[in-house]
Amino acid sequence: MGQERTDEELLAAYQQGDPGAFEALLRRHRAPLFTFLLRMLGDRERAEDLAQETFLRIVKGAQAWEHRARFQTWLFTIARNLCVDQSRRDRFRRTDSLDAEGPGGEQAMVDSVPGREIDPGRGAESARLRPLLQRALLSLPAEQREVFVLREQAGVPFREIAEILGVNENTVKSRMRYALEGLRKALAAAGVSEETAAEEPAPGIGLGRA
Amino acid sequence: MTHAESQDLLLDLAYGELDAERAREVASHLEGCAECQKEKVAIEEVRRIAAPLRELEEPPAGFDDRILAAARAQAQLEHDGNVGEVIEVTGSVRPMGMEPARIDAHGPVKTRPAERRKPRWLMRAALGGSVAAAAALALVVSTSLETRRNRESAVAARSDDFRIRVEPAAPPSVSVDSALRDAEAKRERAQPEAQQTAPARPPLEPAPQKDKVAQRRVPKNLPAAGSGGDVSRAPAAATQKRAEVDRQHEELSGPVGVVAVQSPAPPVEGPPAPAVGATPLGIAAPENKRSKETANATEARDGTRSDAPPSMPVPAAAPAVKALSASELPSAGDVEARAQEARHGGDYGLAASLYRQAATLRAQGKEASAAAWNLAHAVECLSAAGRFDEARAVREELASGYPAEGGALSAARRALRESETVPTSK
Repeated sequence: MGQERTDEELLAAYQQGDPGAFEALLRRHRAPLFTFLLRMLGDRERAEDLAQETFLRIVKGAQAWEHRARFQTWLFTIARNLCVDQSRRDRFRRTDSLDAEGPGGEQAMVDSVPGREIDPGRGAESARLRPLLQRALLSLPAEQREVFVLREQAGVPFREIAEILGVNENTVKSRMRYALEGLRKALAAAGVSEETAAEEPAPGIGLGRA
Repeated sequence: MTHAESQDLLLDLAYGELDAERAREVASHLEGCAECQKEKVAIEEVRRIAAPLRELEEPPAGFDDRILAAARAQAQLEHDGNVGEVIEVTGSVRPMGMEPARIDAHGPVKTRPAERRKPRWLMRAALGGSVAAAAALALVVSTSLETRRNRESAVAARSDDFRIRVEPAAPPSVSVDSALRDAEAKRERAQPEAQQTAPARPPLEPAPQKDKVAQRRVPKNLPAAGSGGDVSRAPAAATQKRAEVDRQHEELSGPVGVVAVQSPAPPVEGPPAPAVGATPLGIAAPENKRSKETANATEARDGTRSDAPPSMPVPAAAPAVKALSASELPSAGDVEARAQEARHGGDYGLAASLYRQAATLRAQGKEASAAAWNLAHAVECLSAAGRFDEARAVREELASGYPAEGGALSAARRALRESETVPTSK
């Protein structure tokens, strides 16, 4: 399979008229992109719509694409802009805007306890926590949330996030700090701590990461 | 390593973005710094708790279908020029680089003799990377877009100078355009009020509402992406004179996305994108179209910008379009006057957009200082409208394009400092 090829190689192949290359790209990025949008919007249907639209735009723009930036950057730029668009629209229709007030000033993240290394999937427990976490995530201002999700879930490096958002890297990291701090507070308020998070250890359900 | 440096790098460390040497430096600072240590631990803890958010979720079954169908259709188009639609462009002015051609869904590319009084160039879309192709698609797409949103003006065609005709292909194949149109329509549906407010707006309507609309729909103005959206306006304005389009637009790809997508063709020398595209805007705009073009084109196809591959500086379509309309360009002074008027009227969104156009016009005239100041004004207006991300993007455009324009630069910075109160963007 063409799985060894880079995104950029696949896109180049697609430019040459190989639809299979696009299919490979789609397979590679559909879940990460969908998950990104799901985390951003908290709504499956919308996430699906925007993910589809993102890929359609990729299709449409593929011919003009030049390998000066990573494919992933382009992909998330489109998706992220669609998100912004979406939430702007929503904001005029709903009072409970996605862009809630952010935390006030910058504060060091304190009061924490040292713990184990990051452990990605922990099965049922993780499924139990996810709605709580998603809610906490949605309580963050969109500009923090997008940075957090891009870095944490999509695995996009800070420098690339800066490109996607059109801001500088320091701004990105600053938003990331607020996001982490905001999440910590939101989770604490919801009663989620490392202890509760660690309850009911369940057999792994094979939560795949990219 | 200083404490400040270490603080700065804790996130990079947590996310594995430091090279080994740098990581060691931070680690050794951490040993002697309780504050940094604490912060590092805090980061790790939140990440552990939030780990379930990292798990991938699969989109529902059937997700790929439409995308793959569109991808295949598009590949076919790129490959043999069969687009499923006939695209025909007629004009008395031929955009540079365009050759007579015809797009036929079911036949090879061929030229056709002119059969009307004006020279005609018909062209094949999607010659990969061809300026002409990009321009043609942009024209076609935006035309349909424009007409869709503004039937009356399209019907009130008044000139033969420029025409576009699009015929739907016999077999309605799955095209990216139609798919995108569906996707966008779906989104639009979720936003009924936006739909209604935008198109009907009279020219120069007072700020609040229009601004609201614009804000709602215009995404952040990434430097590269911005061009795509703007480009769409130009051809739209220039070409909407043709009633025929109106009739046919339905079959066409309405989505703005198309434009944006196509526009980022090979970069051509010229001024920064947004302006180029914006220029022609003025062409058809004079009277009744202004509101629509600004409110509509800009915002409407907001999404377009995002389509432009991130690093593309100038959409190729722009220069071609520009050539097309060169004789009808509005003067920079006019645009500035309109911008000022909008600004004084409180319509900051429109003002910002006009200032950006003016900046491009000035840039074309090699008037760097005036161009820079127009950008600075755009920053001020965007800040005033609360569109900080766009404001920052324009400020960066200003800073990178006119590093020597200190006055304008500091005005832009000041504007952002003053109005930007979002805690997260320091």
